[in-house]
Amino acid sequence: MKNTLRQVFHSPKFVIGFVIFAALLLTTIIYPLVVAADPLEMVGNGNFFKPGTYVSVKDSVEGTHYTLNIDVKSGSLDSKISAEDKESMKEWLTKFGGVAEADINLEDVEGLIGLWEANYSESADQPGLTASRKKYFARLNKNIDGILADSDLILARENPDTGELEESATIGSNEFVNTKDVANRRTFILGTDNFGRDVLTELVDATKTSLRVGLIAGVVATIVGLFLGLISGYVGGVVDDLIMFITNLFTVIPSFVLLILISYSVGQNARGVNLVAIIIGLTSWTWTTRSVRSQVISLRNRDHVNLSKLSGHSMMRIVLTDILPYLASYVVMAFILQISSGILAEAQLSMLGLGPSTSTTATLGLMMNWATLYAAPLNGSWWAYFPVVITIALIAFSLNLMNTGLDQVFNPQLRD
Amino acid sequence: MKSRSKKLVALFATVAMTASLLAGCGGGNAPAATDTPAATDGAAATDDAAATDDAAATDDAAATDDAAATDDAAATDDAAAGTATAGDTNSTPRNETLYFAGQQWGTINDWNPFSTNSNNPMCVQQKDSSRTLIYETMFMFNMLDGELYPLLGTEWSWDDDTLTSMTVKLNTDAHFSDGTALTANDVAYTWDANVKYESSLGMDFSNYIESITAVDDATVSIKCKLDDAGNPANPLKVQQLLQQMYVMQKAYLEKVEARNNSEKEAMKLDKMEDLVASGPYLPFFDDDQKIVFIRDENYWGQAASMWGKLPAPKYVAHVIYADNNAGQVALEAGDVDVCQQFTTDVQKLWEEKNLPITTYIDEPPYGECATMPSCWMNVEKPGLDQVEVRKAIAMATDYDQIIASAMSNQSPTFTQVPRSMMNPTDAEQGLFDHDALKELQFTGNDIEGANALLDEAGIVDSDGDGIREYNGTPLSFKAECPDGWTDWMASLEIVASSAKKIGIDIQTFFPDTNTFYDDITTGNFEICMNSPSGSSISNPWGRCMQFLSSLYADLEVNWSGNWSQYRNDEADEILAKIPLETDEATLKEYYTRLNEIYLTDVPSFALMYRPELFYIVNESVWTGYPMKDDGTNIPPTDCTDGYGIAALYNLTLVE
Repeated sequence: MKNTLRQVFHSPKFVIGFVIFAALLLTTIIYPLVVAADPLEMVGNGNFFKPGTYVSVKDSVEGTHYTLNIDVKSGSLDSKISAEDKESMKEWLTKFGGVAEADINLEDVEGLIGLWEANYSESADQPGLTASRKKYFARLNKNIDGILADSDLILARENPDTGELEESATIGSNEFVNTKDVANRRTFILGTDNFGRDVLTELVDATKTSLRVGLIAGVVATIVGLFLGLISGYVGGVVDDLIMFITNLFTVIPSFVLLILISYSVGQNARGVNLVAIIIGLTSWTWTTRSVRSQVISLRNRDHVNLSKLSGHSMMRIVLTDILPYLASYVVMAFILQISSGILAEAQLSMLGLGPSTSTTATLGLMMNWATLYAAPLNGSWWAYFPVVITIALIAFSLNLMNTGLDQVFNPQLRD
Repeated sequence: MKSRSKKLVALFATVAMTASLLAGCGGGNAPAATDTPAATDGAAATDDAAATDDAAATDDAAATDDAAATDDAAATDDAAAGTATAGDTNSTPRNETLYFAGQQWGTINDWNPFSTNSNNPMCVQQKDSSRTLIYETMFMFNMLDGELYPLLGTEWSWDDDTLTSMTVKLNTDAHFSDGTALTANDVAYTWDANVKYESSLGMDFSNYIESITAVDDATVSIKCKLDDAGNPANPLKVQQLLQQMYVMQKAYLEKVEARNNSEKEAMKLDKMEDLVASGPYLPFFDDDQKIVFIRDENYWGQAASMWGKLPAPKYVAHVIYADNNAGQVALEAGDVDVCQQFTTDVQKLWEEKNLPITTYIDEPPYGECATMPSCWMNVEKPGLDQVEVRKAIAMATDYDQIIASAMSNQSPTFTQVPRSMMNPTDAEQGLFDHDALKELQFTGNDIEGANALLDEAGIVDSDGDGIREYNGTPLSFKAECPDGWTDWMASLEIVASSAKKIGIDIQTFFPDTNTFYDDITTGNFEICMNSPSGSSISNPWGRCMQFLSSLYADLEVNWSGNWSQYRNDEADEILAKIPLETDEATLKEYYTRLNEIYLTDVPSFALMYRPELFYIVNESVWTGYPMKDDGTNIPPTDCTDGYGIAALYNLTLVE
């Protein structure tokens, strides 16, 4: 046993796969200990907030301010007006503002803004301009309004008695806050999803669910497959025919179709994570049965098995002690692949809306389902689906790698 | 012996396997088959319903392995549609064609206004604001000011103060596409046919209209049905007919009757591909890829008494996209001019992608909201018959979250437009006393308040499983809406997660559209989501009926409204008085009282406001679309519905 393990861990493929898998597993265990937030809590009031740290505006205004000698105006000018905006402003000014082209210098941003503020009017007659373009200029105008003014921003509070505004603070352009000072902040490393839930927290929770689904599905499929395969191979005869008949039936019908039909008929109410896992397991045992059966058939006429038979050992004992150990390596490998395909099957089911329900659990498939429904790939919200895809790929990759590694160790033909 | 039995087993196995294979195939196809008719539920499914319905189709694409799949599917569908367009002989010049998306899903069935299942919304859409591209109504409704604008009719008036009969004058310039004049006889004959062949319009309006007769060629007289007291059954519904009923040609109807032997079912199934109509466009080409209408160069509306010119686009085309994502890709690429689709974060299209795309309003809610998808609670189910339970669910629901995330901010919030049975348009908001309702207008996410309300009513969690019990049964309900209607599904998920916080278990259930309508029309549901009607000449009365009238609760199969099956005698009494009342102060009193009843008993509660049609335009080819405050007073009804069709006459090519 020790020797086998040493051999296994000497296979680089197995080790890489194992490390990735263990890392994922550990993350799902450790992360919830660090971040206690409910993965299903709808924090963000909107769709797909960008990844980053969000600090409370009120806190940062009221907290300690530091003065930094940085030229903030040009910084904000550049961020508010792109080169394209400048070209558009020039175009508008020459076309509708009555400014000569020679008077406009695109290098001189402040001069350009001065001209703009003097000449632009939202209500001006702008023949030939489309509505979307007119609205673009209006937005641009709003954006740069007062950008040059050096005056401080004044904060005011409403007096509850008189209803009048009373000045409470002023903010100069060179005042900064240290984000660490802001008490109310929240970091979304992977942004939020369409419900405004923290994607990373949800992803970790979903990975955990998916691993559980994979494990349960794998166990169910392996147990059923192994049991039927052993009986069918060892007993033979009518029992073998019958079992193989059933197995062939299940092999012929695409298991995914079966999966969809069963999930659909179960209905959303009863469709918890465990039930989905069991359904997946019950539709994917056929290949294990077939392989186990064929191996058992070749094993059952070996000398040691015959010896056991002659010694009057029970069938149970022969199967468990004389046959199963020879299959063990294969069964472990098949089990690993079953886990992997179970996780993928859950993701596919959930993407069809036939997985567990959204308000009770997070799963990788559900996350992808909602990201697609809210067109995340179309509006550039990569964080809502890409990490999910990567996670699924990593799980499947690590499990398959472990399987290949084991194969190299156990299969004499592949051994170096 | 042994070998023979083996052969037998083998034979049996083969037969069984073949049979199971066939069974498997049948099973696999079944869901797809049920999806298709779903989109075409003429009676109740609004367009946007159909728009979101397609997402059921996305599912098929999604069955392939990964997230990229839908993206790819969208792209390839688009490409497929594109090549088909280029390939067929009916491709039309881009600068003469106005392309739509989001109205039509799947192949059309027929061109027949009597049909219950045309799946041809570009042509046949008789509703509050009828679509008048091919068939025309007598008047056009403008949801912005609530007025009727002349189309085939020039003016209408009640004959006297009893509101028992109405006279409508027709435009003498009006003629059909075959050149024959459109007269009062056509109007009268169309009405008779609608009644005789029991079209859904005929079935509905014959409760209120006794007869429609031609006085002379240009004058129509409409007689109302009278109740026992001699009052008209409902003058509002009579007005509504003016904006809803397509006027068809008598001669053509007679021809259709002749070929169908005037049989009711046959009439409804007639394809009417050889149609004669009065509208500005005629059918040009259609298949499973796209539908194209061509302008009728002899359209009567170019007479000075109507538009004075022809609509700008020579062709109106709708490519049939596989799903919303495919439509959105085409919109971004400039292959679609007017898009009637719910689009997540629509502002990103112009703010981040800098595309020449815009909506009616430049900032949230981006459109003119006219309806309010609501959560209906079946008051006949134990638990939901308790007003405290209903009110608690309504108070706990996080509406801000629904509006910001499920609806992507395309709705005013309930703090901006406090809840009532009125839509957020100024016309309806002015119809009730806002101060009187203030105390009752819950704004949501009030977990404490909801908990207190339930505790006070003695509905508590006595067995400690986190779910409250009423009469010993845990409060556990199933909330349903059709699969694929994204924003509704997300809304119900948010309702469920809010309810969890107050100890009420709500599970979401997304059946296919047909099952959903079966459930709600027969009362076989606990909680469901559905829209009441939007803007029309008979609203907000019609909508109040849908929320409160016990008339609908008594129906065996209920497509009309009040799916909560709520009954209140006082509400019924007021609802009966409103259509006959003309005094504004009294009306205001009535509506205020109705809203009080509604907000106290909470048989249903609105989850969001919503435009009847989404309206996103890409200005890379055409411009001149109606925009808010542009002075045209044309409603943003996708350039096709009600008075919104006036937009087609203002379009110009982008320079």
